Amino acid sequence: MIWEWLIKALVLIFTLLIGFGYLTYYERRALAFIQSRLGPNRAGPQGLMQWMADAVKLIFKEELTPDNAYKLVFFLSPVVTMVPSIVIAAVIPWGPPVTLFGQTFNQYVADINVGILYLMSIASIAVYGIVLAGWSSNNKYAMMGGLRSSAQMISYELTLGLSFVVVILMAGSMSLVEIVEAQREVTWFAVIQPVGAILFFIATLAEVNRHPFDMPEAEQEIVAGYHTEYSGMKFALFFMAEYQKMIVISAIMTTLFFGGYLGPGVDRFPWLGPLYMAIKIIILLFFMIWVRASWPRIRYNRLMAFGWKVMLPLALALVFITATGILLADTMGNPWLMAIIPVLSLIAGWIATLMVDRSLRRKSYA
Amino acid sequence: MATPTLTETLDLSAKFPGAVTADARPGYTGWIVEAGKLLEVAAFLRDEMGYDLLSSVTGVDYLPDEKMEVVYQAYKTTGGPGIFFKVQAPRLDPIEVPSVVPIWPGADLQEREIWDLYGVKFTGHPDLRRILTWEGFSGHPMRKDWKEAFYEEDAKPFKSRWPEGRIKMAEERNPFGDNVTFDEGFDPEKWTSNDPEEALYTSLKKYTAETSDGIKTDHILVNMGPQHPSTHGVFRAVVILDGETVVSLKPVMGYLHRNHEKIGERNTFLQNMPYTDRLDYFNSMSNNWGYALAVEKLMGVAVPERAEYIRVIMAELSRIQNHLIWTGMMLNDLGAYFTPALYAFEERELILDIFEAVAGSRMMCNYFRFGGLARDLPEGTLEKIKDLVFDRLAAKVDEFDRLLTENEILVARLKGISKLSPEDAVAYSMTGPVLRAAGVPYDIRRAEPYGIYDRFDFDVVTQTDGDMYARYLVRLEEMRQSLRILRQAIAGLPEGPIITGKPQYQVRVPAGEAYGRIEAPKGELGYYVISNGKPNPWRYHVRAPSFINLTALEKMCVGGKIADFVAILGTIDIVLGELDR
Repeated sequence: MIWEWLIKALVLIFTLLIGFGYLTYYERRALAFIQSRLGPNRAGPQGLMQWMADAVKLIFKEELTPDNAYKLVFFLSPVVTMVPSIVIAAVIPWGPPVTLFGQTFNQYVADINVGILYLMSIASIAVYGIVLAGWSSNNKYAMMGGLRSSAQMISYELTLGLSFVVVILMAGSMSLVEIVEAQREVTWFAVIQPVGAILFFIATLAEVNRHPFDMPEAEQEIVAGYHTEYSGMKFALFFMAEYQKMIVISAIMTTLFFGGYLGPGVDRFPWLGPLYMAIKIIILLFFMIWVRASWPRIRYNRLMAFGWKVMLPLALALVFITATGILLADTMGNPWLMAIIPVLSLIAGWIATLMVDRSLRRKSYA
Repeated sequence: MATPTLTETLDLSAKFPGAVTADARPGYTGWIVEAGKLLEVAAFLRDEMGYDLLSSVTGVDYLPDEKMEVVYQAYKTTGGPGIFFKVQAPRLDPIEVPSVVPIWPGADLQEREIWDLYGVKFTGHPDLRRILTWEGFSGHPMRKDWKEAFYEEDAKPFKSRWPEGRIKMAEERNPFGDNVTFDEGFDPEKWTSNDPEEALYTSLKKYTAETSDGIKTDHILVNMGPQHPSTHGVFRAVVILDGETVVSLKPVMGYLHRNHEKIGERNTFLQNMPYTDRLDYFNSMSNNWGYALAVEKLMGVAVPERAEYIRVIMAELSRIQNHLIWTGMMLNDLGAYFTPALYAFEERELILDIFEAVAGSRMMCNYFRFGGLARDLPEGTLEKIKDLVFDRLAAKVDEFDRLLTENEILVARLKGISKLSPEDAVAYSMTGPVLRAAGVPYDIRRAEPYGIYDRFDFDVVTQTDGDMYARYLVRLEEMRQSLRILRQAIAGLPEGPIITGKPQYQVRVPAGEAYGRIEAPKGELGYYVISNGKPNPWRYHVRAPSFINLTALEKMCVGGKIADFVAILGTIDIVLGELDR
């Protein structure tokens, strides 16, 4: 069975790598669409080969290592950033089991019973790469980028973790396969816990350093942040890691909140599973791109304030509401009591929004 | 709209007998103040006569008279004409003049510039270092006896350029390595930046290592620029940071310095016109106007009606496109990924189409002439302008308003940050939208109308907060006011000639001095021109708003975050072509 795993792992890695290529293309075309221009349309039909041209360019670029950099760490940190972003995808189920040549194959590389813990721990490793890159470059901008990244990670990992807890409570399991199957019985968790889904999305943006939380690489402030001193393929690895994390984290969000591979007819045609996943991921990615095209960046200290003073209390409230709803439904024996979860969480979210709004109208802010 | 008039006639020589005399040279106005009494006179003018805004300080080298002169132009923020006063010093090093920084802090960078270019030492200046040229520069380039590399003649056209019709390159006569002079004992090969940089770094206010909560922290010194994505060119700011908070800051400029003013003194009067385009390359139309105004004052020539109207139309279109592009680039500085900038570019292209139609060039227009304009409006252009002004632009300004003004992140980033009180703004000689955002309704179009601005009905836009959000709102509303002026100007556009007399290459400019100032989109743009009756100006000085508005940069940034510094630099609206000249 080792061959099965090997082949599945290879397929997954290549899908992610090519997905990265097309994600850059997708992002550039979508941004161009929003900004009333054309975007890359020269290399290949409609510019579809653009990512290949970019990759070739980056590979042949000269790689510079600063004289005073800590060479070993400088070399290792792109790898430390890149590897987790691929490995993390191992536990994501892409579809129901398929039967091929008389054998049943599962459409995931591994089904760990503590899948969510695995996700959390692997996702946190990537930040080491960023911090070490910032520190080893011996550059002030890079250093600030690294520091920002670690501070941001600590603030937002908590919210992310609590959003996971909401899902675990509803599914009763930490295995991603079982979470998807649990959504088959009730409905998408995004319907039961809409605020949780939004919270997860926001925390995700911070996790993958996307706009408006791209503090570690804020171009206007600290040039390119932690990868200021990187060039050529080393830089490309950081870039790749960021975009693969985008794909993977959208896949996770699909799995947790939007029913994963579930969709009409997926039981009869299990091959539809990956297709449904892809569609959902592309839609979620579009939201990330849309946010990038529309909003300016939040200032660093306000980002922290938002994370600790709004996101964390709200996440705690959501966990409490979810647990209460489930407990009520269980003790009273009436599953319809679950309906208080969306109602109460929407109220909590509304209150949080009001608080943010009020804090913005304040003239001075720490 | 009545022109504010100066009611009291001020006789400074009676007030300070012996120390102040009227400037009696033909074509000159103002007062000549004795150096020792300068601070007293300045304090009197500011405190008792209300000349609170020091518009410009500049030097003039009167080589034949063996005199160095420092010229001050002060205005009242309540409007009306200004007062010129001058300090003369014998042209023997060291030339010393007391610094007026204690009275008008806005003189800070300008006095440094005079020290740099003329070698006038300002006693009492807090930080007198070179500003535009580099630290190892030999001599003071604006002095009349300073000769530049490849020096040919004092004034253009250089006859040596085509002896017997053959063009000879200057480089052929000056082999490489022979064209730069250095101070005695200065070797550029061995020069390191340590010592001059030391002067810069020590000029920063360092704070003590102990902080209030008892934890010892260290500050870091960060050079923002000269190569930095958000300094709008090769501008550099040396910043001391405590974590992310700015503790101290000094701007460093001059990376794009080309000694525009020296070039201007070599050129003939008309040859300077295209050079003014390159100052603030977004607004070549208004740059042209300021220079034309100064020279027209000297020549005493009137501008025909039609030309005046077209000038207003072009200047206001220029203001709209400047503010549009400012809005877009400002949002870029805040981290929005180019969407607002590209939306702004879309409208700007349409305005540039009009400039191209009238002037032949989209950015370097070179459209104004002394006493009129280069060309009339081509056929169909007025319709295009009408389409833009009456239909498209108003809707687009509203769209910007709708998309941006209430955006939570924008409000959070801009509101309450980098507050500048009206007193400080005036003291630091801030002009333009930054000053009006602080609550001072000072707009030269209204304070001392030039051209035909006294005929139009428009509001001087002000805000009271003085923060970055107020600056944004002022610029947004100014676009609407510009549209209002444009509508009136288009309605009133008469037929007729566009230039007084016939166009000529060589204008005859009588001897004298003149200061022409306009309300450029970025602030007060002034041209101080002295003619001695020859084909070239004896002195040609540009009072650049981008440059002088930076005087208060440190005051605005200290205490803010590093991200705020970028935004503050954005809200001041600088252009490096004008800043470094």
